[in-house]
Amino acid sequence: MEVSGVAFAYGSNVVLKSVGFSANPGEFVALLGLNGAGKSTILDIMAGLRTADSGSVRIDGRELKQWQARDRARWISHLPQGIRSELPFTVEQIVLMGRYAHADQWFESEEDVQHAVRAMERMQCLAYRHRSYYTLSGGERQRVLLAACLAQEPKVLLFDEPSTYLDVQQQLQCFSTLTKLAEAGALCVAVTHDLNLALAHCTRLLVLHDGHIAADTPVLGAAHDAAWLSLLSPRLRLVETPEGRPWVVYR
Amino acid sequence: MKAPQSSASSFGWISGCAVLFILAAVILPLIGPTGIDMQRVFAKLAPDYGIFVELRITRVLLGLLAGGALALGGGLFQAMLRDSLATPYTLGVSAGAALGAVLVLALDLERILGFPALWLGSMVGAGAVLAMVAGASWRGGHISGVRLLLTGISLNSICSAFILLIYGVVRERRSFSITQWLLGRVDSVSYTALFVFAVAVTLTCAILLRQARAWNLIAIGETWAASRGVDLQRVMLTGYVCGSVLTAGAIALTGPIGFVGLIVPHLVRSRISPDNRLLLPCSFLLGGVMLAACDAIGRVVLAPAELPAGAVMAVIGGPYLVWVVRRRF
Repeated sequence: MEVSGVAFAYGSNVVLKSVGFSANPGEFVALLGLNGAGKSTILDIMAGLRTADSGSVRIDGRELKQWQARDRARWISHLPQGIRSELPFTVEQIVLMGRYAHADQWFESEEDVQHAVRAMERMQCLAYRHRSYYTLSGGERQRVLLAACLAQEPKVLLFDEPSTYLDVQQQLQCFSTLTKLAEAGALCVAVTHDLNLALAHCTRLLVLHDGHIAADTPVLGAAHDAAWLSLLSPRLRLVETPEGRPWVVYR
Repeated sequence: MKAPQSSASSFGWISGCAVLFILAAVILPLIGPTGIDMQRVFAKLAPDYGIFVELRITRVLLGLLAGGALALGGGLFQAMLRDSLATPYTLGVSAGAALGAVLVLALDLERILGFPALWLGSMVGAGAVLAMVAGASWRGGHISGVRLLLTGISLNSICSAFILLIYGVVRERRSFSITQWLLGRVDSVSYTALFVFAVAVTLTCAILLRQARAWNLIAIGETWAASRGVDLQRVMLTGYVCGSVLTAGAIALTGPIGFVGLIVPHLVRSRISPDNRLLLPCSFLLGGVMLAACDAIGRVVLAPAELPAGAVMAVIGGPYLVWVVRRRF
């Protein structure tokens, strides 16, 4: 995936001035930045949900705008920030929606159901697959949405704050799953505010600041160069865990 | 907790509703202020034959088709806008159709270019309002649901105001026919009108049902749908066109009977399934049964006077919907 010179403004409010980077299969990128830095906006643009004012996004060498919705969805899955729905859809029905781009028939095939079940197992929501989505707690809902994105079998996963509402165990489970997908050849990009979760699981950190990519560093190098950290808050400091991994502490 | 929807149970629900629909088509023509002797009908003897074939059957068929069209339109708009209040009413489409029809009634036009003027009037009215509402809510390459709803409700009020204005300036005889029409009634129509309407309804239903899975995703959220592979622009545009054809057609023939578009999809959603593959066909079938049944009730309760189907629907359906909402939410 290649992002180059992307600019975007909401009316007169310029959010992205010129964002450019490229990422390859196997990477797990953490997209960091302050509130309102434009993290969700650039993620939407990468998913084809918004059109950039200028600049381009290419996937597999092809301009994103030229992709048909269906083809795009077989490549890219985007997890939005929370979905509220009062409709009595069951968990299983929502997860099966992830199979839309793969199914040609009016009813989902046995194969679609198997994919959905595997995704629900992974996100540990199989136990409540027949419950209505709107009766679930925030964390349970988030796991259902994650499962739907996994059932989509994408090559590129763009997740907007995937660990929101999740308990600690589920946060770890979610990020480990993404790590495994990246190791299996997918490209994962997650917007997150949890720096330690990112340092422990991701391969690369991108910090969005003032409409640009202000820092772009592999996680292994992040320990030696703490400049990226000062972009987020002056009260942060890097230490090293006994295992030799970088760890962020607060002052 | 709900059992998983398998294709077998879906088929069961749809065929159950279809059986009700067919039963209604067979039984309801027999109900009315005067008894019908079927032997006289088969022998083509007056007056039974005339009443049955010319009046009752067309009336029941119109009720079934118009009720189905309005309920399907309601279910569709609720999925499109993710708003349980969205109906052809709240979008102003009904009011636009009504204004067009009232204008035609006020000018005492019979036919325009060979078409029944009332049809043309309401079609043009519905189309114009829909274009205005969609135009006003179009920004940045997509249509915003909130803006659409607010514009729709505003245009609804504007159209209602113009209807009152026209009502005030026309002479008494015409104002009576306008009142009659605005009450919303199912009346006998020609077989030609029924045929044209039936073709339009069948076509739009076929198109909408093909997209039923996409409507499920859109009912959850537009970005949710787009990121799962739904071609949002194309599907939404089809929805607007099909929804307004259904609504305008039904309203042109029956007058503004709106409640069926709100109540039936809600009942189906809470009782059968929110899945549009079931919701849309079941809403169509049950909406038709409901309107035709209300019309049959209206024919007999105050006989020889007739109660408009819209009024019967409101009296029976209103309390039931309140009860359902209280239990479910």
